[in-house]
Amino acid sequence: MTADTPLNATDNRHPLRDQLQQLWRNKTAVTGLVIVIVFILTALLAPLLSPHNPVATSLHDQLKPPVWHAGGAWKNILGTDDLGRDILSRLIFGARVSLLVAVASVGLAFVVGTLLGAVAGFYRGFRDGVIMRVMDIILAFPYILLPIVVVACLGPSLRNAMIAIAITYVPRFARIVRGSVLEECTKDYVTAARAVGARDWRILLIAILPNCLGPLIVQTTLSFASAILDAAALSFLGLSGQPPTPEWGAMIANSRVLILQASWVMIFPGVAILLAVLGFNLFGDGLRDALAPRLRD
Amino acid sequence: MAPPNLLEIRHLQTHFFVRGKVAKAVDDVSLAIAPGQTLGLVGESGCGKSVTAHAILQLIPVPPGRIVGGQILFEGTDLLRLSQARMRKIRGNRISMIFQEPMTSLNPVCTVGEQVAEVIRLHQGLSRSDAAARVVEMFQLVGIPAATSRLREYPHQMSGGMRQRVMIAMALACTPRLMIADEPTSALDVTIQAQILDLMNTLITETGASTLFITHDLGVIAEMAQHVAVMYAGKVVEYTDVRTLFAGPRHPYTIGLMRSIPVVGGRSRGRRLSTIPGTAPSLFNLPPGCMFSDRCPDAFADCRQVAPQLVPVGPNHIARCLKYA
Repeated sequence: MTADTPLNATDNRHPLRDQLQQLWRNKTAVTGLVIVIVFILTALLAPLLSPHNPVATSLHDQLKPPVWHAGGAWKNILGTDDLGRDILSRLIFGARVSLLVAVASVGLAFVVGTLLGAVAGFYRGFRDGVIMRVMDIILAFPYILLPIVVVACLGPSLRNAMIAIAITYVPRFARIVRGSVLEECTKDYVTAARAVGARDWRILLIAILPNCLGPLIVQTTLSFASAILDAAALSFLGLSGQPPTPEWGAMIANSRVLILQASWVMIFPGVAILLAVLGFNLFGDGLRDALAPRLRD
Repeated sequence: MAPPNLLEIRHLQTHFFVRGKVAKAVDDVSLAIAPGQTLGLVGESGCGKSVTAHAILQLIPVPPGRIVGGQILFEGTDLLRLSQARMRKIRGNRISMIFQEPMTSLNPVCTVGEQVAEVIRLHQGLSRSDAAARVVEMFQLVGIPAATSRLREYPHQMSGGMRQRVMIAMALACTPRLMIADEPTSALDVTIQAQILDLMNTLITETGASTLFITHDLGVIAEMAQHVAVMYAGKVVEYTDVRTLFAGPRHPYTIGLMRSIPVVGGRSRGRRLSTIPGTAPSLFNLPPGCMFSDRCPDAFADCRQVAPQLVPVGPNHIARCLKYA
């Protein structure tokens, strides 16, 4: 009987393992992963890494240029802003805020969106209609307008910015999960699970959802990138964490007027946003190629 | 029949409602299975045999399908009247099912051991380790070599025959009274088919379970079943025991089916294999008279007008044909 088995019988590999190996061979994805890891470590270890207190002002050190400029000093490697705060320290703590916003808003959207999408795809009919029409309504709002409206209603704060971003992200999760669940429901193993007497929620959570994880993981990673960007946009507009919270978008907003005399104050937060978004996007694209080839353009 | 039937289907009607039209997939089907007996259900694709099987466990997708009428009596209780919760207790426990495609009927992201264990824990409330021990036992019973190591494998690591053995292990794990086998060997190689049929025969005898065996292969029926119902376009057209059917089929459709089994050597040498001309009618657009009249070699004028009823054509032998009315 062993002759007709396609794989070695002792080879108990989970189907995911091959896909992760494929991901490892993809060099851009690995680059993205490295950036993401550095970003996460920076955020977690912020108090250890940052040379200064990110909110401490110093009237003697206003607008110091970076160390490689004439007049720069090793004390403030990336220079200081108009209140004399160390930019490097603010960037490091800003990573923390960005990561928090990304994880919280994407996490919330993931849970709510997956549940709604799963219910819609599994039960279809009336529930599907109601849920998906609400999702369509959310999607009908211009991209950044909805978070602005939500924050305007709830009042500007970091927490409300997270809620606002989460609400805008729910539909993309709901749609992806609904599509996958619809597809999985036609497969025999779902009927088989029902035929052995499993309850609906059991079929949905244990049998169907694990099979929908591929596209979900991809969407989550790519959503981290856009959540960081959207969080920066909201704080640029002053709708997120209030001063003196070190937030990348807010740092750019505050230094707008200084672009001609002290461009570094604005450039470094911009580079930080760029790198974080790029890292998540590269990694997400690699994951997509490995886990959900059908989603490729 | 003296002993009460384990399963009795009475006038079952299952229709599918698609875009304002009605497809009568199962129309007035009555079947009975005595304890320990195997009933074969034969017919070509789309004749309603799988729908009948799914209807017993109420696995018909609603919508578009609906069980419109009839009764399904299992051990005397009508399954169609049971609550969802009580129906779940029957599924997989009292009545289990084996599917056609062993490739797709196992969940690709769980190990086969977990999947069988889940059924056991669901119905028998065994602890994790007790269930695992029972899985090993079941795997050995269905002839999976190196059972303890293979239960940690994923479905894609197993061959079709092995997967079907896993499905059988899952179906028998809770010692059901009735097993529904929906073309369990159609997707397998012929050599593996024979092994699986042998295995099922042994296990059916050992456990004393009744079986509803669905197939389009009359040869398989001869090997597995005591009684046979032949279905055509949602209706039972002939119903009798295996010996009577093979000795003297009465309905023209059954006769046609028998003739289209190739016989190697002997009298048939050099003769073309006979086939039944035409195709089965669309379930959306059934002819007014006999469903088979368009393809029937014996059809006469009345056949296109009058719908035939099941009439006795011998002891324990009924057929739906105007020739005998």
